[in-house]
Amino acid sequence: MSVKVHLHLTLRQHTNGQEIVEVQGATVGECLKDIIKRFPGLESALFDKRGKLNNIVEIYLNLQSAYPDELARQVTDGDEIHVTLMLSGG
Amino acid sequence: MLSEQELTRYDRQIMIPGIGREGQEKLKRAKVFVAGAGGLGSPVSIYLAASGVGSLRIVDHDRVELSNLNRQVLHWEEDLQKEKVLSAHYKLEKLNRHVDLETMNKTISEENIQDLVKGCHAIVDAMDNLPTRYILNKAALDKGIPFFHGAVRGFEGRVMTVVPGESACLRCLYRGPVAQEKFPVIGVTPAVVGCIQATEVIKYLVGIGELVLNRLLIYDGLNMKFTEFKVKRNPRCDHCGEDRERIKT
Repeated sequence: MSVKVHLHLTLRQHTNGQEIVEVQGATVGECLKDIIKRFPGLESALFDKRGKLNNIVEIYLNLQSAYPDELARQVTDGDEIHVTLMLSGG
Repeated sequence: MLSEQELTRYDRQIMIPGIGREGQEKLKRAKVFVAGAGGLGSPVSIYLAASGVGSLRIVDHDRVELSNLNRQVLHWEEDLQKEKVLSAHYKLEKLNRHVDLETMNKTISEENIQDLVKGCHAIVDAMDNLPTRYILNKAALDKGIPFFHGAVRGFEGRVMTVVPGESACLRCLYRGPVAQEKFPVIGVTPAVVGCIQATEVIKYLVGIGELVLNRLLIYDGLNMKFTEFKVKRNPRCDHCGEDRERIKT
């Protein structure tokens, strides 16, 4: 099963600039674990020390908000996950 | 009633199908609350004033600093250290004398927001921090006033429009508090995002087009790409959800 994860610009510093990473997993949470296995620098950018998603992180599954309970969302082959960051500037 | 001078002034937009004289009169009768006179507040208030929105109430608590001038185009070198609302008032008055301007040098808070938005038909989020955005979102829902969210960072921005009772609100996506930062930004980004917000306000006031409801529009200036994410009302949202369960902020 292959899922594409699209990473926000700020997160690409942890993936050598790669925007889209193909990962394996049955849920959004598993897919994020898989991408972290390959790019460990992403872990602290996405999760706090207790393993909870950082508040600034937003997850969209197939262009729809996956919030709340986004990590438990089931994914299927060909799904696309966008990981983006909330903005506060004005 | 539009004067002959106003009919001439707004002629090119009155020509737009869906606006016409009737739409222009709707704009003239409207009062819009603009929260912030900075990067987003500049294009929002300039274009709303230019379009003939009858009344603008602009609130900001800052003074103009040199580091603002790369993006806050309402303020010029001669305005350094002036209150932003005074600088904004001066420019907007020169731009369109038909607009009734109310400018207030105040900090928006939970205590004063209900009074600040009283009598307004739209609330525009041109703030630079999330906590105040949520104060505006809540007030908009409580008062049943549409809320026009915009935010920027670097070359990126986002827009979402909230019509109370009809669409997801900004708080529906709330995960918890986020640390405040000194955010990087180039002036063209709030220019684009602020113009989209102003477009949304004009469409809403006139009653035409399709608003950015239940959608989050992301602008990526570096790749010159717009992405749209669907959002839906969160039943657990503490601002608009069914049970309004409180989330600690």
